[in-house]
Amino acid sequence: MATLLQQLINGLVLGGLIALIALGYTMVYGIIQLINFAHGEVFMVGGFASLATYSYVLPDGLKSDWWFALPLMAIGGALVAVILAVIMERFAYRPLRNAPRLAPLITALGVSVILKEAVRLWYPGATAPVPFPRVFVNKTFTFEVFDGSITIGSTAILMIVVSIVGAIILQTYITRSRMGRAMRATAQDPDTARLMGVNPNRTIVLTFVIGAALAGIAGVLYGIQITNVDTEVGFLYGIFAFTAAVLGGVGSIKGAVIGGFAIGLVKTLSGQYLPGGTQYDLVWIFVILIAVLVFRPQGLFGEPERVRA
Amino acid sequence: MTIKDAVRPFARPLVIVGGVLAIIAALLPWATFTLNEGPYPDKATLQFFDAPFAVSGFRLHTLILGVAVLIVAFAPIPVRNRIQRALGWGLLAVSVVNTLFILFGGGGLGAVTAIDGAFAFGGVVGIIAAVAIILAANSGVIEPIPHWNNKVPTLVAYAALVVSFVALLLLVAMMLNAGGQGGVGNPYAGPIFLSLLGFLAGVLGALHGIGLTGWISRLSDDHKWFSVIVLLLCALALPFTEAGTDYWMTTAANIGVYAATAIGLNIVVGLAGLLDLGYVAFLGIGAFVAANFSGAAAAKMGFELPFVVAAIIAAIVAGIFGAIVGSPTLRVRGDYLAIVTLAFGEIFKKSAQNDIGGFTGGANAIPGVPPINWFGQSFDKPLTIGSLELPSGVLYYVLIIVLVALVMVVFANLKNSRIGRAWIAIREDEDAARAMGIKTGQAKILAFLIGATLAGLAGAVFAHKTSTVAYDSFQFIESVTLLAAVILGGMGSIPGAVLGAALLLVLPEKLREFSDYRLILFGLALVLIMRFRPQGLVPDKHRRAELANEGAEGVPIDELNVPDDTPGGAKAEVAR
Repeated sequence: MATLLQQLINGLVLGGLIALIALGYTMVYGIIQLINFAHGEVFMVGGFASLATYSYVLPDGLKSDWWFALPLMAIGGALVAVILAVIMERFAYRPLRNAPRLAPLITALGVSVILKEAVRLWYPGATAPVPFPRVFVNKTFTFEVFDGSITIGSTAILMIVVSIVGAIILQTYITRSRMGRAMRATAQDPDTARLMGVNPNRTIVLTFVIGAALAGIAGVLYGIQITNVDTEVGFLYGIFAFTAAVLGGVGSIKGAVIGGFAIGLVKTLSGQYLPGGTQYDLVWIFVILIAVLVFRPQGLFGEPERVRA
Repeated sequence: MTIKDAVRPFARPLVIVGGVLAIIAALLPWATFTLNEGPYPDKATLQFFDAPFAVSGFRLHTLILGVAVLIVAFAPIPVRNRIQRALGWGLLAVSVVNTLFILFGGGGLGAVTAIDGAFAFGGVVGIIAAVAIILAANSGVIEPIPHWNNKVPTLVAYAALVVSFVALLLLVAMMLNAGGQGGVGNPYAGPIFLSLLGFLAGVLGALHGIGLTGWISRLSDDHKWFSVIVLLLCALALPFTEAGTDYWMTTAANIGVYAATAIGLNIVVGLAGLLDLGYVAFLGIGAFVAANFSGAAAAKMGFELPFVVAAIIAAIVAGIFGAIVGSPTLRVRGDYLAIVTLAFGEIFKKSAQNDIGGFTGGANAIPGVPPINWFGQSFDKPLTIGSLELPSGVLYYVLIIVLVALVMVVFANLKNSRIGRAWIAIREDEDAARAMGIKTGQAKILAFLIGATLAGLAGAVFAHKTSTVAYDSFQFIESVTLLAAVILGGMGSIPGAVLGAALLLVLPEKLREFSDYRLILFGLALVLIMRFRPQGLVPDKHRRAELANEGAEGVPIDELNVPDDTPGGAKAEVAR
């Protein structure tokens, strides 16, 4: 029982991280129907950028004050991620907006390879996992339950809180604000939106910016939780997050968050209880991805599939 | 525009000046001292004053380009600007590659500036010459490519085809051999190879400009079987050229495995338009099946099957998996399908990594797969015919060539068959294809099945050739490499897939000093090709027509009717 509860908690923590990344996927896909394959790498770059902020920008005296260091690192990670996403959108995706469907996807694949390799080659020591400082308060809470005990770290709580709060703010922004309305309009019909005075290019860039900022923050959270960053995680978590977005229904904020938690739970629970253990937990996620795409392509909360080429 | 207008009145003198400068550049030294790792090849340093006219290597190429520019400038040729433009770009590539290498790889700015009052202006003069030629050629009208009549006597056509294919063979051998195999043996292999590549690109561009390559390609279309046989013979003759070393035979066999796989992928991506991001799994399945039937110590099957039987089983098993992976195509479309295939690829890798069912050896891999052995001749030993000793990889090379030829024949026949046209129709518009009565579901699964079968066949050869089959040979990045090969060469085009695979495997061998940057360059190539040349290097005819605004004869639409010098005024929009 304690094991189950512990795995549930682990799953929710992982799920919070996945949800933060999945929000970027779902927003970009919702507005321009592009699977931004490079989004996972943006998350990875965010992690490295926040580490760089800690190592090279933060004064030594303030490194132990988490209330200063952590926000600064989050800003650093998110800022680099945002700049990257804007460059990506402008020079790789925008020129292909009217190209055949496969062209932007292949481009995204290329961008993803470039980002991963660039970090591996040029970030000092990134050919192996780079240790990440424990910036946040390093405290664990232990609870006695029926037949054992479960532990939750303070970073784990932070992760869940940030992802849920972030999703709520985002949902409010999209449903209530002027720019949010512009986003929804562009997603529905870019041409008509333009006639109504919406600037589709600016709206699309904003979508990329929000997604990248969330991915950058996810990068920091990943770093303080796992205590290292690795160039490999971009691809892996990118796939997790994409699966989450698809499971929840691409285009839906609520779906991305719930999908993220679901994928996190699937990973930890299947690693614990299904045959093969943790060696096959990825396989189960992929099986779910395939099953969802085949049997319910609109996901749990998505609108029924629009005709797409 | 303004530069063009400014240059136009002086275009002709500028070209002549450029040509003369190129010749001068060829006769000037390119470096002032011997570089750290020994003399830069072909007497690039001041030592060349001992024999200034015995130019060779990249300086010979510069000389040839310069002379060619001058000849074209004075000869009565209708497509002058187009040829000069190609030659100019070739010259620029040669000059820039060699200058940059001497600057950055050789010894800094000191390598080209003064030492004891001696100057090495070869590179600078070469670049200036190239820029002059390109500017002048671009300022005028770029003429349409002339159309040569391909209704010639059969014998003439045969002779032309034989000559061009033999020339192609010699070119390939020359390129493989340029600068040796790189690495420690020759620190200059990279620049020598790149420089040769630039030169050849310039020359081929010029030949394309006068319509020669178009003519040859139409001739080979007219005499398909003859050209296939000649091409096959030429490929089989490669071991007898200067590239016939152990090393290059092994590399060529690797290229062959990837080329065969890439052609299989080309059926799925290029013809049927279904993006497959986990394709290397089929190569892996074929390799693991063949390894298990090979009698290796770690194999699950305790017995050994003859290679041909094992290869057929490998192909069938891979084909079955192909059909399974393809089955979601019935319900999933477009980029979602790409993700499904990626998921299958990852499931394969994960399963292989964990030694599923004891078939894959997990992290230990399946080592010691014996080489193919036919008639007492082991394939990894040198072959001796009479007094002639051929390098050790040669039998694998021959086998692979036969395999690639087989795959090409399959591909070409499929492409022009009923099912091939159905695939192309699905690629263009699935709903319309269905409305025309094509059973789209069957056709799509068949595409996956056939593509996977070909990859499985290649995998069987791969298993015996590399002797160790490990899961990490079949990772996501390999799928991306294969996809890059198909896209680089041109989707739906057979020579394109072979060329793409060859480029993506030969370049890393030649450019060892850049081997860290291999993947980043792949990524960059994918992005740039999608942006600037989505039809690839050797585009398929239909593809070319739809992606590059070109007419059926390969002439760009905006160059078909060029009354004045404002091309591109009435560009047709890519209506997609």
